Amino acid sequence: MVTTRMRLRKRELQLYDSEYSITNQQYVVIDTELTGLDETKDSIISIGAVKMDGRRIELGKAFHKLIKPQCNMKSESILIHGITPAEVEKKPLIEGVIREFLNFCGMDIIIGHFVSIDMSFINKEVRRILGSVMRNPVLDTSLIYGYLKKKYAQRDIFISYPGDVELYELAKRFGIPVNGAHDALIDAFITAQLFQRFIPLLIGAGIRRIGDLLSFGSPFSTEARYRLSGEIVNF
Amino acid sequence: MYNVIEEVIDYLRKVPPFQFLDEETLKTITKDVSMEFYPKGTTIVYQGGPLGEHIRVIKKGGAKVSLGFSEADEVIIDYRGDGDLIGYLALFDSGASRANVVAVEDTICYLLKLDIIAELIKTNPAVREFFHKSFLSKFLDKAYKEIHRKSLPYSVGGNIFFTTPIEELATKKVITASPDISIQEAANIMSQRKISALILSNSNNTPVGIVTDRDLRDKVVAKGRSLSDPIKDIMSPPIIRADAKEYGFEALLKMIKHNVHHLLVIKDGSLKGILTNHDLMLFQGTSPVALVKDIENQQSIEGLVPLSKRVDNIVGLLLKEGVRSGDIGRVISEINDRLIRKILEIAEQKFGDSPVSYCWIVFGSEGRKEQTFKTDQDNAIIYEDPVSDADNETIKEYFAEFTVFVREALLRCGFPPCPADYMASNPRWCQPLKAWKRNFSNWILVPTSEAILNSIIFLDFRPVYGDFNLSELLRDYVIYLLREQKVFLGHVANMAIKNMPPLGFLKTFVVEKSGEHKDQLDLKTKGIAPIVDIARLFALEKRIRETSTLERIEALRDKHQIIKEHGDELEHAFEFIMLLRIQNQFEQIKERRQPNNFINPDRLSNLERRTIKEAFQVVSNVQDLIIERYKAMIW
Repeated sequence: MVTTRMRLRKRELQLYDSEYSITNQQYVVIDTELTGLDETKDSIISIGAVKMDGRRIELGKAFHKLIKPQCNMKSESILIHGITPAEVEKKPLIEGVIREFLNFCGMDIIIGHFVSIDMSFINKEVRRILGSVMRNPVLDTSLIYGYLKKKYAQRDIFISYPGDVELYELAKRFGIPVNGAHDALIDAFITAQLFQRFIPLLIGAGIRRIGDLLSFGSPFSTEARYRLSGEIVNF
Repeated sequence: MYNVIEEVIDYLRKVPPFQFLDEETLKTITKDVSMEFYPKGTTIVYQGGPLGEHIRVIKKGGAKVSLGFSEADEVIIDYRGDGDLIGYLALFDSGASRANVVAVEDTICYLLKLDIIAELIKTNPAVREFFHKSFLSKFLDKAYKEIHRKSLPYSVGGNIFFTTPIEELATKKVITASPDISIQEAANIMSQRKISALILSNSNNTPVGIVTDRDLRDKVVAKGRSLSDPIKDIMSPPIIRADAKEYGFEALLKMIKHNVHHLLVIKDGSLKGILTNHDLMLFQGTSPVALVKDIENQQSIEGLVPLSKRVDNIVGLLLKEGVRSGDIGRVISEINDRLIRKILEIAEQKFGDSPVSYCWIVFGSEGRKEQTFKTDQDNAIIYEDPVSDADNETIKEYFAEFTVFVREALLRCGFPPCPADYMASNPRWCQPLKAWKRNFSNWILVPTSEAILNSIIFLDFRPVYGDFNLSELLRDYVIYLLREQKVFLGHVANMAIKNMPPLGFLKTFVVEKSGEHKDQLDLKTKGIAPIVDIARLFALEKRIRETSTLERIEALRDKHQIIKEHGDELEHAFEFIMLLRIQNQFEQIKERRQPNNFINPDRLSNLERRTIKEAFQVVSNVQDLIIERYKAMIW
């Protein structure tokens, strides 16, 4: 008989096992909204994230926080995000939000679209606040798309054109609704749906193990890609 | 701030049974909602596999539910689309899944926790009702609309209907009044001017509303509203307009689409006239009222023959008008009754008055007022008990010639003779009241198989002409006979469960395995007959006098427990299958084929298939209840 404890134990082992199936992973799909792209001057103004249990998007497990920015907001990003400085003024400071966010992510594999930008801003804060960085494995849907495009070159849905790798372009191609205003949570949700569409295509292309997916889907170097077995991530 | 769950809640708000829930409950059930994507061809649930912990609501896409472990032995039992549920059986039946569910297109589902839904069923009556009852009524309205849309291309009136602008059809004399006058004043104008609709216009002469006879009945008399209230309180805005240049069929489409019986005809921006559906019917020469008048004016069989051909067109028109099948049956029965009465009057003139008072009765589908297109003659005569045997001989001689004349006249009017000779021209079915009483007591008290068959056929008798009192006396006697007739009812119950509707059909629902109608569905024996038999059984159990299936169901509502619970469903199922049959027969007639009861499933839309499946499910459920009640007598 398999006890709950045994199942949990198995689950724990799976997390670190690059041999394990991509449909049996816990993912957290994230997006951030920034005041700009200059890491030295700009800062995070909101973080959105939604969990995925394998191919299942857990809408009930969503994270969305607006953050009081550390620098003045630029007018063009106000236009994009529709967040006015007055709105942001009342929001919590980054320190508390980062802690909540790390708790929310736990040890799940992080997914994002062009996620290295998000991760560099997040890790800048994590380092500043906690003296460490997030070591979760990271997957970038834009890289996964690039891989699938090569594998499925004959399919219409993968025809190249300028800007085809933008999140909303991809969403439209894969029949994911993108109407309405966008914020960090909606974009994370769109990214999650995109990844959900990618899973069967990946399996069809022979990518079944998370290790194989990370080998081309991660924006970071090989060393950072895998966690060593038994490593304890302590934030 | 946006929350991804709001999108789910917005969606569920449109989907039964979740649409019955308040905001708070919707939030509770979606607390742990998740979402899955299945590319076309993915198996969502395996037959024999675990049912899982979720109910899936299809957000977008489609799935087929099938049985079998390989493609070769696959039997598709259902299709599910947007807003449909997958896996709700798990609510009532733990264990393995009974079917495969496979995505037939890219499909997105919301997953709701099973235990939360189970809790909801306990606490929310509307949700409980939804899961326990069939989904029939949900589809019914949609399916009806679809059928009526389908029958539109058949223009009964021929080309004229497509080439005559409505300004030529509309009533040109339009009476208008101010919306500020009282209800009584408006009614006065309508009655003085003999109009059925009054237009209310404001000071610029712009129409702002319409009041019809029906409004006065439904909104004033029935509601007990004060006659001094302003007419604008009951008028119906906005009025649907049609341009004077539009053609008849466009106007009819508008009427059907907006469910109105009047259109304002506008020319160059001003009110030119008013068009009613009655105008359209008259235009096509197929008004039932006009036909009945024509029948009344005939003096010979020759004159009736061409009129009888117009009845089929009326069915077509009623179909277009969106009339329910039960009402189509009633209208057609009324017209056929008039035709029979006229034939009998002509026969009486020819052979002289009958030596005895008699009653012409019809039975079978005619007796139940469920006739649409012409069917076999099923008729008989009950005459007053003669004083002596000599009298009886005279009477028999009179009716011998008389009934043959009527049979032939009916034949010329399109009613073929009954192959089993259930006609008044057969001396066995032209009898004095006492012989009829003897017949029924033999059938009911000694139920042999022939007796059961006869009683089933004759029990739906209904008087059409002559001394109705004779028919009523016979009905009294039958009702008297039915006290404590458990054995007889057991036989009738067996009849009612004999025809099991085909439940595992859909997509390629092969029903007739061989013969001329291979691969076709027999609507009459598989769908209509079981409901007719069920209603008759219950009518006999409760000893009510009604003979038509819908009237029986109505009369049994307060009397019969099964009807109390399932009456609406049975009624809907019956109306729907009848409508499909009428529709099908109408198409066959249009194609100059002999109408029959077989329907080609390929010609059904998805929605029709689903609805008819629901209808069959209802019949099957009620049959199960009958088996339960009569189990000691079922063989």
